[in-house]
Amino acid sequence: MPLDRKIAFINLTAEKIKVKPIPVALRKKFLGGRGINMHLLSRHYTPSLDPFSPDNPLIFGAGLLTGCLSFGSRLSITAKSPESGHLGDSNMGGDFGAELVKAGFSHVVISGKSPNPVYIVIQDNQIEIRDAKKLTGLDTLETQKKLRSALKDDKVQIACIGPAGENLVRFAAIRSGMKSSAGRTGMGAVMGSKNVKALAVRGTRDIKLSDPKKYLPYYLATMKSLAGTKWAQALGKYGTPLLFSRANALGILSIRNNQSTSVGDQGYRLAAEALELYSTGMLACFSCPVHCRHRFVIEKGQYQGTRGEGPEYGSIGSLGSKLGNLDLENSMYAIELCNRYGLDTISTGSYIAWAMELYQRGIIDQKVTKRPLVWGDRETITDVIHQIAHRKGFGNILAEGPFAQKVFGAASRDYLMEIKNSPIEMTDERLPKSFALGMATASRGACHMRSRASIDVLGLPEEVLKKLYGGPVSNDLASYTGKGRMVWWHEVLNAVSDSLGICRFLTVFSSPHALQYREFSRLITLATGLDLSPKVLKQIGERICALEKIMLVKDGISREHDTLPKRYFDEPIPEGPARGAFISRNEFDHMLDDYYRLHGWNKNGVPKKNTLKRLGLKT
Amino acid sequence: MKITVDRKRCSGCHLCELVCSLFHGGSVNPEKSAIRIKKDDLTTSMNMPILCRQCKEMKCLPGEKAEGEREKKKFIWDKSRAERCPFGALPVFGNKAYHCDLCQEKPQCVKVCTTQAISVR
Repeated sequence: MPLDRKIAFINLTAEKIKVKPIPVALRKKFLGGRGINMHLLSRHYTPSLDPFSPDNPLIFGAGLLTGCLSFGSRLSITAKSPESGHLGDSNMGGDFGAELVKAGFSHVVISGKSPNPVYIVIQDNQIEIRDAKKLTGLDTLETQKKLRSALKDDKVQIACIGPAGENLVRFAAIRSGMKSSAGRTGMGAVMGSKNVKALAVRGTRDIKLSDPKKYLPYYLATMKSLAGTKWAQALGKYGTPLLFSRANALGILSIRNNQSTSVGDQGYRLAAEALELYSTGMLACFSCPVHCRHRFVIEKGQYQGTRGEGPEYGSIGSLGSKLGNLDLENSMYAIELCNRYGLDTISTGSYIAWAMELYQRGIIDQKVTKRPLVWGDRETITDVIHQIAHRKGFGNILAEGPFAQKVFGAASRDYLMEIKNSPIEMTDERLPKSFALGMATASRGACHMRSRASIDVLGLPEEVLKKLYGGPVSNDLASYTGKGRMVWWHEVLNAVSDSLGICRFLTVFSSPHALQYREFSRLITLATGLDLSPKVLKQIGERICALEKIMLVKDGISREHDTLPKRYFDEPIPEGPARGAFISRNEFDHMLDDYYRLHGWNKNGVPKKNTLKRLGLKT
Repeated sequence: MKITVDRKRCSGCHLCELVCSLFHGGSVNPEKSAIRIKKDDLTTSMNMPILCRQCKEMKCLPGEKAEGEREKKKFIWDKSRAERCPFGALPVFGNKAYHCDLCQEKPQCVKVCTTQAISVR
């Protein structure tokens, strides 16, 4: 049963491994994945905890339904973030999470630090720490190939770091397969700080379900209705790049570090249709009926031979349009470089964009950058990526992420589009107000996935939205009305789906007809025997959000940090389809008040005593 | 009845393996399914679903007294037969081979394949 899976505590300093069962009471409180990860992190989280300290636990957590016949099979990776200095959490698809579960484990907590590079092998209830000297310096693909060869099993799934993680680049990712990445918040740097190059897992154990006879027909019926939605069909054909044209038409892209928000009729160059020319098929994560990942190859030209999976809209936007770069092949190559080095594509693009704007404004010059930083300069983009991964030259400064402002000077601060020290992504949120609030409140710093309240983009009747959200919500994406409610609702739902290992794209995200509490509840009952009603599940989501907030409050995070870059308030969008859009401070405050009220948090965003009592949490 | 494969359509999701094992064995375990997705996910090569082709001349059975028609309806076979399959379409785990019994004429894997990489002919 999914409830039989164990939790492994690996202390690298003491060279000790403890395996423990997961109490059912803990499952009922936090489910698995992100929820249990947060519970585990909260026990160690203090404001003084240095993210690179051996005491910072690096926690891998598969969702409660990961590995089952489910809707995706995702895994969360959690620690204190060396990029932001606050809560770090990243979520990864692919096959790794499912393999971990098949090996008998749900969670792995790595603490301490190994004196030498090591990798950790987990095979059917067995865990072993092995020497990784021969893997040092290898990129993420070479590492995986070598490990599969060494373990003589091509079904081994590997989560590893590349040179960026080894070199403690603050926004290094953990990568699995050709593309799956726990990209955001620098979890790869935490792994590097512990001298862990990779986790290699292989499992062949049965996953027994509580009621297999009923589970199968329920799954098939649910899957059929989900896979038939327009959203799933479009995603299965184009992948996330389909969002690029829509974002460009609305004027919600980040162009040249949010100095503009659309590239107008030039958008076709980075659109999903342009990517189709390179696509050789569509792939799926383990146990996902939607298959939204392209497989691509560039067959001729300067980047001939570049091949991989994806690229995703977030990466194309971050290393393409955000940098004023509309050369799709160059951005595909840059993305693949990041993947190989184990760099987060979104953060990498964002810090380069920041530096380019500083250079444009004369805040930094070639004394610092050692080269001109010109918008859209293809060679600069790829060269700087090499430098960041190896911490060479100017790259060594950018590898510090937001902390590079120590070198760039105080004037650089206003041009770093960040929230809670984490950079804003490929988008601009001045027009869509729910996106804007969701970015401001996301517990891991700027993040479009924490809430990703986007249904108002569809222009559905407001009665439909009212029924879904339990209160009035405007169907105009530029309106502030009800958007606090929307963000609250999605944050809570997503905390639950992340704890089940179900992919965001298959839940209520861009379609009101996709999976949510009712379906989650039924799947959990049939898979595990746990009777968790939709109401109870929602409370679990609230609990996870509150626990994350408690950790942030410990860091001194308060209302003034749940905000947006100055530019969003003070500079209306100068041109393009969203021209004139900006965020009103007054209206933003009202949205934030609503959002806090619905969470049961006070005006400063601190969970109230009675909220904590209701959720069974301590401060 | 026969299940045909269009390998270019396979997304590598493994849902067919999961459904097969759950339907026959009551547990989810891709190692105990009669269909397998062969893939090298560290290259950009195509995925390949592999399962019994329901050959008229069953080269997996020569020398045995077993009757083909009766054996075709069985899911778990002895692993010695796997070695005789010219297509490598009888996956082995432990001392058992897993043979596609077509789920009593209602193949479950086909129901879950959203790309139609496997279909009934």
